[in-house]
Amino acid sequence: MNTSDSEEDSYNERSALVQCESPTIPSYNQDHDVSLPQQTDTKRRRPVSSGLDEPGPVERERASTPDGEEEELTLKYGAKHVIMLFIPVTLCMVVVVATIKSVSFYTEKSSQRLIYTPFEEDPNSVGQRLLNSFLNTIVMISVIVFMTIILVVLYKYRCYKVIHGWLILSSLMLLFWFSFMYLGEVFKTYNVAMDYPTLVMIIWNFGVVGMICIHWKGPLRLQQAYLIVISALMALIFIKYLPEWSAWVILGAISIYDLIAVLCPKGPLRMLVETAQERNEPIFPALIYSSAMVWMVGMADSSNPGSADGRRRNEGGARAQEEEESEDDAAHGRRRRYSAEEDLEEDRGVKLGLGDFIFYSVLVGKAAATGGDWNTTLACFVAILIGLCLTLLLLAIFKKALPALPISITFGLVFYFSTDNLVRPFMDSLAAHQYYI
Amino acid sequence: MNLERIPNEEKLSLCRRYYLGGFAFLPFLWLVNVLWFFREAFLKPTYTEQPQIKSYVKKSAVGLTVWVAVLTTWITIFQHFRAQWGEVGDYLSFTIPLGTA
Repeated sequence: MNTSDSEEDSYNERSALVQCESPTIPSYNQDHDVSLPQQTDTKRRRPVSSGLDEPGPVERERASTPDGEEEELTLKYGAKHVIMLFIPVTLCMVVVVATIKSVSFYTEKSSQRLIYTPFEEDPNSVGQRLLNSFLNTIVMISVIVFMTIILVVLYKYRCYKVIHGWLILSSLMLLFWFSFMYLGEVFKTYNVAMDYPTLVMIIWNFGVVGMICIHWKGPLRLQQAYLIVISALMALIFIKYLPEWSAWVILGAISIYDLIAVLCPKGPLRMLVETAQERNEPIFPALIYSSAMVWMVGMADSSNPGSADGRRRNEGGARAQEEEESEDDAAHGRRRRYSAEEDLEEDRGVKLGLGDFIFYSVLVGKAAATGGDWNTTLACFVAILIGLCLTLLLLAIFKKALPALPISITFGLVFYFSTDNLVRPFMDSLAAHQYYI
Repeated sequence: MNLERIPNEEKLSLCRRYYLGGFAFLPFLWLVNVLWFFREAFLKPTYTEQPQIKSYVKKSAVGLTVWVAVLTTWITIFQHFRAQWGEVGDYLSFTIPLGTA
């Protein structure tokens, strides 16, 4: 399978959880439902951790001191924001796991490999296999780093057209080619006869409406649904075409890269976020899943210096898979509208980068494909959600772009290997001896 | 995108564009148009642009119904007669079920 480089870029862009702080508005007082309209933009690339706020009443203190000091005693996110992220992440994982379990295509190993993982894993020698998987990881990560840097450079020099074109190409490929493959495999699995005219109509409609919703204007729910679907498609491609051990090592390496790229001062994703903040632009909305429509209060009137710090970015996507060039592009495509009204502060919701979705789903999907039974899959699922909770909590505390990948992937990996190797034999033994606990 | 937040002229323009776009063999776009603007067109108190939005939504619904009828007819015919058409049926098929004629 030919993979395109642009996808990797998109990944980098996508794996960030970004939080946008909104200036506090005096009219809001003790608004329990509305957390600070910080938008957490999760860019794939940027590690963004959205902090989770304590559930319960969120009190906001007016933060409009003229000297710019913000006294925010309240946490910006409540349980509502956690749920707003849980649902799409869960849906994405459910789609991936359901496909893995029913359509055998995605678990069959093919001789084709991505050009990003050139080293073949030889099943005969453990050492050789391990070495090759590390080499594959190095190749993949360097491609991702390269893509991210190109993206940041393009953004810095305002080559918006190039970025948009790239994103559009990426999403075109995802929405048309990958969904065509997916549909074909689903029809073969269920032994359904499908004719070309109907198929062309389905793919055409799906693809065009997807492009419209993601890159232009469309109903929020539909756009969220499309983003979930393309994340799931991408995750499936990764599950199929990454070699076994390489996939796990890559997951680990991506988390580390995410951490570095978002938190280090010279990290590409951090630079991206900061540049976007300086310019008061949204960060490539097409690469980010936003849980609510965000209306940014006009920045000119912002009296909160702190609001600019609040971006959290999730870099999940450092993986910008090359296959998914379009994803990156898609993420960059949309710009939010800025509203200059001060009176209405809408709940900005939380933003999570699409790369985060993809890699979470890759982890759970691989657990479903190779993990043996449902214990492992569920354990990984729970681990990722716990990690996401913690990330959101950190986001609420730190109020800046944070990587969404590291905590969740670490938990996921730990849970996967321990469940597979410790819990499963234990449960099998118990069942064999008919001993119920 | 939240429809509440955009002015009426833009809503009308959006509705019109979705309606016109649907002519490019995109009944799904018409479906989205109908569902998205249904509340705007029928359940909201009247405003200036509402009659036009209403007409676009109605026309989209009509177009959608026509497409659904056409597609249902074609799919029924194809599924029923595919085996009998022999070579033509195979030529038209994207996936052929295994284990049947």
